Amino acid sequence: MTTLWDTNGGEVVKALSAERRSAGAVAFGIVLTLVVVVDERHAAEAMAAASAGAMAHPCRLLVVVRRQPDAAEPRLDAEVQVGGRLGTGEGVVLRMYGRLARHAESVVLPLLAPDTPVVTWWFGAPPQKIGQDPLGLLASRRITDSSAAPEPVQALRERAGDYHSGDTDLAWTRLTPWRSVLAAAFDSTTGAATGGEVTAAADNPSATLLASWLAARLGVPVGLTASRGPGITSVELTLDGDRSLRLSRADGRSATLARSDHPDRVLPLARREMGELIGEELRRLDADQPYADALANAFGLPRQHQPADKTQEHRGTANRRATPAKRTPAEATAERASRRRLGTAPTT
Amino acid sequence: MTSQRPGEPRAANPLRDPRDRRLPRVPDPCALVVFGVTGDLAQKKLIPAVYDLGNRGLLPPGFALLGFARREWGHGEFASLAHDAARDHSRTEFREEVWRRIADSIRFVPGSFDDDAAFDLLAQTLIDLEDSHGIQGNAAFYLSIPPAAFPVVLKQLARTKMADNDDRGGWRRVVVEKPFGHDLASSRELNALVDDVYTPQDVFRIDHYLGKETVQNLLALRFANTLFEPTWNSHYVDSVQITMAEDVGIGTRAGFYDTAGAARDVLQNHMLQLLALTAMEEPVSFDADSLRTEKLKVLGAISLPTDLPRHAIRGQYQSGWLGGQRVAGYHEEKDIPTDSATETFAAVRLGVETRRWGGVPFYLRTGKRLPRRVTEIAVVYKRAPHLPFTAADIEELGQNQLVVRVQPDEGVTLRFGSKVPGSTMEVRDVAMDFLYGEAFTESSPEAYERLILDVLLGDATLFPRNEEVEMSWRVIDPLEEFWDGSEPEPYDAGTWGPTGAFEMLDGDGRVWRRP
Repeated sequence: MTTLWDTNGGEVVKALSAERRSAGAVAFGIVLTLVVVVDERHAAEAMAAASAGAMAHPCRLLVVVRRQPDAAEPRLDAEVQVGGRLGTGEGVVLRMYGRLARHAESVVLPLLAPDTPVVTWWFGAPPQKIGQDPLGLLASRRITDSSAAPEPVQALRERAGDYHSGDTDLAWTRLTPWRSVLAAAFDSTTGAATGGEVTAAADNPSATLLASWLAARLGVPVGLTASRGPGITSVELTLDGDRSLRLSRADGRSATLARSDHPDRVLPLARREMGELIGEELRRLDADQPYADALANAFGLPRQHQPADKTQEHRGTANRRATPAKRTPAEATAERASRRRLGTAPTT
Repeated sequence: MTSQRPGEPRAANPLRDPRDRRLPRVPDPCALVVFGVTGDLAQKKLIPAVYDLGNRGLLPPGFALLGFARREWGHGEFASLAHDAARDHSRTEFREEVWRRIADSIRFVPGSFDDDAAFDLLAQTLIDLEDSHGIQGNAAFYLSIPPAAFPVVLKQLARTKMADNDDRGGWRRVVVEKPFGHDLASSRELNALVDDVYTPQDVFRIDHYLGKETVQNLLALRFANTLFEPTWNSHYVDSVQITMAEDVGIGTRAGFYDTAGAARDVLQNHMLQLLALTAMEEPVSFDADSLRTEKLKVLGAISLPTDLPRHAIRGQYQSGWLGGQRVAGYHEEKDIPTDSATETFAAVRLGVETRRWGGVPFYLRTGKRLPRRVTEIAVVYKRAPHLPFTAADIEELGQNQLVVRVQPDEGVTLRFGSKVPGSTMEVRDVAMDFLYGEAFTESSPEAYERLILDVLLGDATLFPRNEEVEMSWRVIDPLEEFWDGSEPEPYDAGTWGPTGAFEMLDGDGRVWRRP
């Protein structure tokens, strides 16, 4: 490991290639660059999660820690590491002080692995407008975690407001096991759903997305009820012919699937570690349309072309891409210019 | 029950969206019945694979694992055996709470294969599981038993209607392991027997090599890229070498191995499958039928060498030093007759008579007690038709090679010439490596995990069909006939095989790659 105090971007690039040379064969298969934006308190936690997530995807990890934004003199400290606890990957921790924190991309840009996808992950509360953060603009995939925000559902609403293709939120990632079990249960369920209810801890963005996804896919209204948690505690669907399907989880570890015409089943449905969530995110680097649909549907965005009747409208969104929120022409031009400057292809 | 009748189209599941690639493919509710569940394979591979699937959330909500074996066991003993097998051999982290969910669905039925009552009990257990576990009459039967026991078990399955797709309104599938016979005639007999009890598309033959990520990656490498395919033919390729080496001896498989030998044990199945995937044309799509069509064409186009004594070599290891240890020779292994003429090494030169491969030799070699365990496919390119350098400049320039390492160190190596730094123009071979990386392979599923999942999903893409098995025997049978009655050439344990194998390439003006 090389540690550099009060340094600059060029020195960091040199230190990284020196480390790579001395590490030998470990660092050949870099497939992407993962930029993690985190504050000092959570830096170690974020590194551990990113390394675990990056296990399956050899990547260059750039951890951007913004410190003392009010410091008079801008300063950069860096730690460079190849292999070791980062597995097959390599990592640089960049501590930025003072005004430099607002120009983090000037350090990050030369450190990106050439011509490979960039993923930016905001550990902790996401910024209000990720579309305007240069660290978000240079990425093809942006990971936020609205549940870490002070007002989680409001944070998710902001994501819906400035959604761009390539955005994703860990609130959605956390749902995958729930959605898998529900989809598998529906594989052997005949008959249509007539209504539904999601029960979860209050202000849980995952529950909002789950209710919205179910409503859009099933074409029925799905309600949301608060419980004591942890996380989502149950999903109940009524099916025609007076039947029902209920998936409930009280302990955050395993769930019971109860269906009218099937025996009850207990299934593992554990809450997952951050590393696993990031691992799932890094597996696919293309836009996640089902997320876009569920997100747009959750906050009623946009609905110009859709019929007023609620159920019909949900059916309509199921097979259509969500349109990103409207931007003014000036905003769009400015964004295109920034992207070009950062060397990233514009996403549609 | 709301069970699905075969042939009846399932109503589209509104929660499944083709664009939603986070959701895994999960099989229908079903039971997996394992015959020979107390055996080595079941304990080291099958039960751990079921656990890993469960841990990854890939088992359906209605699932049951049934074990059938000849032990006087109660349910409790089997449950603890299965628990230990999963704990000791699972790939993913072992968690008691996950195991408890699976353990709820485990049943053990004791009995011998000729015991009618035991099979009646098994059939009844499956019917009971429809109500208690909602398996909807779907079941896959894994025959982890010696081929000699196949006829009696299959007869029992037919008698109790457990092989009948229509009897309980669900699918019924059977999984068989190699050896698929010991020659063309016996494999035909076996295929006829299995296909008679089950419908042919419900028979899954496991060749675990095809479940390996790197083997599947060979298809991605060839057909997802522009770079390699244009050179993948006799215009550019000089020869192909496929090596499958093991450092171990025959272990505890003496009884089987001595009747089979290296050619029947691995050349007939794993190696010819690797050859087929390397040499085949692009399939029109990646479904099971298209892939099989292309593989069959290649297997059918394989030609044997005309000069068999020079191009079909077999060997047998003698005692020697391997990895710093003295190891016994084949004749000294336990339960091997001291005059056994079974080969533990086979090397053969095959041709593929198509426009693409005409004139390109495919050198295949496999052996036990070789210096290290390695499986790789090396595509060796021709030298450039003209080199504008002096002979001294390119003294150390070899032929370009593209090597697909199947195991270990899964990845791809490209060898090409590069200038040596300095004031003279000197060109030397360098290697460019793509490694799946240690951490990456750690998380890729075990071959059995993938293959069991595919059986339960009914996806036959990675399983050889009976025509492929029979076509492969057509290649092996004449070799066996030629070798019959001759003595294998001895080689010292810990070396890369008998002299004959080296002379075979020498005579062709080539050398074996040292893997």
